[in-house]
Parts: sequence; C-alpha cells; structure tokens
Amino acid sequence: MNPLSDKIEPKDYKSDVKPVWCPGCGDFGVLNAITKALASLRLAPEQVALISGIGCSSRVPAYTNVYGFHGIHGRALALGAGLKAARPDLHIVVAGGDGDGFSIGGNHFLHACRRNMDMTYIVMDNEVYGMTKGQASPTTAPDWTESELTPSGTHARPFQPAAIALAAGATFIARAFSGKPNTLAQMVVLAMQHPGFAFIQVLSPCPTFRPEQKEWKNIVRPFAVDALPTSDPALAALHCQRDDGMSTGVIYVEARPVWKRSDMQEIAIDDIEQEFRI
Amino acid sequence: MTNPQEIATKAEFLAHAFALEQESVDRYEELADAMDTHNNLEVAGLFRKMAEFGRKHAVEVERLAAGSDLPTLEPWDFKWADDEGPETGDYADIDYMMTPVQALQFALANEKRSRDFYGLVASHSPNQTVRELAGEFTQEEAEHVTLLERWIARHDSDTTIADDLDPPNIVD
Repeated sequence: MNPLSDKIEPKDYKSDVKPVWCPGCGDFGVLNAITKALASLRLAPEQVALISGIGCSSRVPAYTNVYGFHGIHGRALALGAGLKAARPDLHIVVAGGDGDGFSIGGNHFLHACRRNMDMTYIVMDNEVYGMTKGQASPTTAPDWTESELTPSGTHARPFQPAAIALAAGATFIARAFSGKPNTLAQMVVLAMQHPGFAFIQVLSPCPTFRPEQKEWKNIVRPFAVDALPTSDPALAALHCQRDDGMSTGVIYVEARPVWKRSDMQEIAIDDIEQEFRI
Repeated sequence: MTNPQEIATKAEFLAHAFALEQESVDRYEELADAMDTHNNLEVAGLFRKMAEFGRKHAVEVERLAAGSDLPTLEPWDFKWADDEGPETGDYADIDYMMTPVQALQFALANEKRSRDFYGLVASHSPNQTVRELAGEFTQEEAEHVTLLERWIARHDSDTTIADDLDPPNIVD
C-alpha cells in the first residue's frame, strides 16, 4: 500500500515469482500496465482471473497474484470463455502472444470476437515465436529471413489483428505499445470496463530474436485522426487498412448485446444421461 | 499529461515527486531482478543501489508531505513531460549483457529527465511555493547528474557489449 494514502498500488498485484523474460523484453511493460490497471480499478485479486496459453508472454499469470491459469497452446480464449460461463462475476483477462493467439489459437480468436463474451484479450505481439527460439509467427513480415525454418522469408501476408478482430465482430479494438505502460494501463482499464469482448494488440518488442524492434519506440505514434475511436465499422476498417500497423489508440467501440449465462440452455445431468440410454 | 508547468499546488507537486521516486524504485528493482536472473550480477547490484537511493528520496518526500492530503492520480493523469515517469527509463536501452557503464548511463538519463521535469515546474508553475520547492528538487537532481557523470568518468568508457559465448538466439 502507498504510505501516503490507502490507495492500492500496482505492485500489490505482483506475485513473488520473478519474471524470467529477457531484460528489455516488452512484456515487462505489459505486466506493469496490467497491474496499474487493476490498481486503478481497485479490484481485489480474487475478483480477477488472468488466463494464458503458451509462450514467453503467456507466463504472465505467474507474475501476478490474481487467479491465474497457464493453459495449453492457443486455448487461452476457450479457457477464459469457460471460466466466464462458470463464474460470470469474475473479470476475465486473457493474455498471450501472437503465435499463441493468431496461429494455434486463431480459430478461437475469431469465434471469441463474434461471441462477444465480457472479457479482455491482450496479445503481446512481437512478430516471432520467442520461446522456441525465433520462428516466424502469423504477424511476421514476409521478408524476415532470420529463422532457419524460413531462410528466404515466409512469403505470406502478415495477419492483421485489428482488421480481423473487426471483421470477426469484436466490440472493442485497440492497439498499444509496451514501452508506454501508463498509456497501455488506461487502455486496459477501458477494455475491462467495456461490456463485451475487448481486444488489445500490444506491440511488444523481443530484444533477443527481433533486436531491430528496439527501434519501435521511435516509430510508434498515436493514430493521427480525430475520428477514432469510432463505432462505424467501415471507418474503423478504413483506418486499419490504411495504417502501417504502428499507430496506437482505441480504434473501435461498439455497444452490442453481451453473451450472458442465461443465453445458455440449462439441462440437468439426468436428462443428458437419459439421451444416451439405449 | 505532458504539462509539468500546470502543477499548481504543493500537494499535487508532492504527489508527483513521490510517484517519481516510487516508480523509480519499482523499475530499478525489476531490472535488478531481471539481471540477477540472467547472471549479470554486477549490473544487478548497481540497479539495486539505485533503487535504494530512490527509496531514501521517497522517504524525504513523505516527510515533506506529512499532514498533507495528497491527491490520488491515475498513471495517465500525471503531468510528466512525457507519457511515462521521468525515472522509469526505456526498456529498449536494457540488455542482459549491458555493462556497468551502460547501466550508469541509463541512470544518468533518468536523473536528467527528473532534473528537467522539476526545472519546468520551477520555472513555470503558477504557485510561488511550488516553484521554490521544485527549484530545490531541481538542484538536488542536478547534483545526482553530476555525481553519476563522475562515476561514469571513473569507469572504462568502453561500452561495447561483450560476446556471449552461449547466446540465447542460436538455434541448437
């Protein structure tokens, strides 16, 4: 606690487990932004669940003292959705990397966007699989040749997270930079307060396998348009497509009915067993 | 945000000063832990020393704030010159093989940002008391800058990062 007041401090949400991320990793900034956001929202640790998949960034639940689940590769959103269905009172934050979320978990991403359950999805995008020592991910540029698996590049068009989230039906879409934890913290607060599926793509440099990303701090800038955020999907799509992927800010916010537990068909176990009787 | 000149009350100023030191302590401790994990013990020790200095300064600010009701500010509501606190540094300047001189240069950049932040408040705040207090803080940060420059001068000026004989980014 802050000795000058009764205010909860961000570090009150950190666990005793020290991150093993490489020094200089952008994921430190995301961890700090998440804890700052939780402190701003004055949420008790037991009111929040942080769910992840596999990868460097997916280690994040261990570094906080909220409920955590370090799940299996690409299935973090499915776990988060299940938990939200079982415990609608919890604030669900799902976090992970671009490989986990857009490749292995790509299908879950699409359907989480369109289902619009009340949860926040934070993807730490470094355009590489870091934990497995540097392979091209869905967001890697087609001409990146540093991996032995793709020595002449992937020749594949990079996945466009914001545009795809919009097309799939996400109701809150934003892009941020891990080197600005205070700005990102505000975005996480807005995302967690948004009723529905909120998606934040965080540009989070990997200093080990993509050292050139250290330059991102000189490239990222806020969207230079007053029109954003917008609730007009056509306008949001226009700005997503025109942008080089390095502009930050809240892009799209839409009020749409949120998935509720009461939407589910309740059925008793006995009735299910009855259906399977021969 | 980005308007230190608009800090207009002593309580608001001290809230900024305390946050500046607390964020500095938190960041240096985080960096020290990361360097410990990656076996750069000399730089880890240096960052821990910087955290200790920050802790002492935070206590000084607490003493000045005794009896005052400081405002609670959200991270994005602080009137720093940039979006982030002056002494949190930049993750892009950190490397697991960084030398003590590079760590001192990182700290020097932090101290210069603090000095400049307090300098802006000292010269532009609409409140005379705040201007005077900020002037004292500017002077103190300027002394830190001078001290760090002396420490850096005493070290070998070679800032080349040594080769890692077992680098993490080589595929086995």
